[in-house]
Amino acid sequence: MTEEQRNLVSILLRVGSVLTGLLGWHYLAVAVIKDPGILVSPVEVVSKAYEMMVTTGELYPHLFASSIIFFYGFVLAVLVGVPLGFVMALSPLVRDYVNPWMTTLYTAPRIAFAPILLLWFGIGAGSKVAIVFLGCVFPVLINSYYGMRVVNREYVELARSYRLDRWALFGKILLPASVPFILAGVRLAIGRGLTGVAIAEWFGATEGLGYLIFFAGQTLNVPTLFVGVAVFAALGIIGFEIVRRVEKFATPWRGQTQGS
Amino acid sequence: MAGPVLELRNLNKEIPRPGKEPFQIFNNLNLSVREGEFVSIVGPSGCGKTTMLRVVNGLMPHSGGEILLDGKAADQVSDQLLMGFVFQGASLLPWRTSLKNVLLGLEGRGNNGQEAEQIAKKFLDLVGLNGFENHYPHELSGGMQQRVNLARALAVNPRILLMDEPFAALDAQTRSFMQLELLRIWAETKKTVIFVTHMIAEAVLLSDRVIVFSHRPGTIKSEFDIPLPRPRDMDIRSDPQFLHLENQIWKQIEQEVKAAGGFAQL
Ligand SMILES: Nc1ncnc2c1ncn2[C@@H]1O[C@H](COP(=O)(O)OP(=O)(O)OP(=O)(O)O)[C@@H](O)[C@H]1O
Ligand SMILES: [Mg+2]
Repeated sequence: MTEEQRNLVSILLRVGSVLTGLLGWHYLAVAVIKDPGILVSPVEVVSKAYEMMVTTGELYPHLFASSIIFFYGFVLAVLVGVPLGFVMALSPLVRDYVNPWMTTLYTAPRIAFAPILLLWFGIGAGSKVAIVFLGCVFPVLINSYYGMRVVNREYVELARSYRLDRWALFGKILLPASVPFILAGVRLAIGRGLTGVAIAEWFGATEGLGYLIFFAGQTLNVPTLFVGVAVFAALGIIGFEIVRRVEKFATPWRGQTQGS
Repeated sequence: MAGPVLELRNLNKEIPRPGKEPFQIFNNLNLSVREGEFVSIVGPSGCGKTTMLRVVNGLMPHSGGEILLDGKAADQVSDQLLMGFVFQGASLLPWRTSLKNVLLGLEGRGNNGQEAEQIAKKFLDLVGLNGFENHYPHELSGGMQQRVNLARALAVNPRILLMDEPFAALDAQTRSFMQLELLRIWAETKKTVIFVTHMIAEAVLLSDRVIVFSHRPGTIKSEFDIPLPRPRDMDIRSDPQFLHLENQIWKQIEQEVKAAGGFAQL
């Protein structure tokens, strides 16, 4: 197969996957389950989404509220996670000191923290941002740490051989070598951050996509429920795409080997 | 003529081991290298050749003896960047283009900007990579990567060029080609070179002098002057004198391998 044919097949497979999935879903809803109280057809979800976005516009306040929460929690996690990961990688003392707490926080189920954070920060934005932050920070931190730890020893030798000082070693070798790892951590953080948003808005929120889903579930409004889930999924896809572009821009040296 | 560029006197390297006597890597090395000389070092695997280069380059401390650069103790010389190191794996930074990789060594000396770029370009030209300045390592063949590696070492204008099996990872054809290129570049730059290799023919083809190391702890077992006329090309490999030298050196190494307990011990 030529490169071009392979690309075509790849596109066809992706489009086909989406189409067959939607068709299957539609068939399941209309011909098998036949109970709109449990599952609605994608057609109905789309028409509901249209209504919420174009006719009434009621989706936007929720979307906006969730985006803000996500943004603050996520950015805070990157701002804390990356430097802390670096410091832990470069200083065994810091690593040993931080490790017990990190392991505890990382392995405990995050949802268990939600009520505590709510108690501390109240039901305002603070607690929600904190929940998202907790979800995002560990993948970023661990990947930054790991990225700096596994830097090829040859490169370090090279830096010493050419008498780069400590700052140059960090800036010219360790940091660029870690970038792909950090971005992989950021990618993971997007998914976990969105989960965090959903969790945060289930507890005592009055707006947001999580609240929308929660409320729709309580009132058996199945189409709205699905719209909420779909918007979450769309946000995840957009986030991944942004990271992919950043990756392409920040690490052009990785060439074509990455796939898409 | 002036004194030697590099002199090793009774140089030792051992690695302390808790509860045991130290692990001796090389012992009692005495070597003196003249300005512009091309010296190769051959010897059984594990005899300490790489370690010697690293010690000479200041990447590792020695355990005894002296290293003299232009007659002065190496640690007294203000900057050991008198060395350029050509690594076995090309050791190019994958996120830097050829040009930026060559610039790395210059940045280590605080040499940035236009002037540094001019120097880097000049050496990329010298190694035959004109037009590949903006290629990333993954876009270059193994031979081209080694050329960048060499350009990087030359760009810092080293007093001595240390090369550790730089062509070992290349296929036979590329390797032969790179040997000729190295001869050309050496003739143009008149650098003093210490070249470690496993291939005796390579050592004979390139060198003014070939040093044979004993098995570990490495010492100098014997030395061979290579009086073959220059410039040399590949035809010289069938010259009777070439073959004779190659054979003699091989016998020396064979003795060492046997003394160390045979190939199975390597
Ligand atoms: N930092 C170190 N700690 C302990 N042992 C070491 C260290 N560096 C090298 N050695 C040992 O010293 C010996 C010599 O190693 P070196 O790499 O210098 O050999 P070499 O002659 O370059 O071998 P080769 O021809 O296979 O490249 C080996 O037995 C190696 O295991
Ligand atoms: Mg070696």
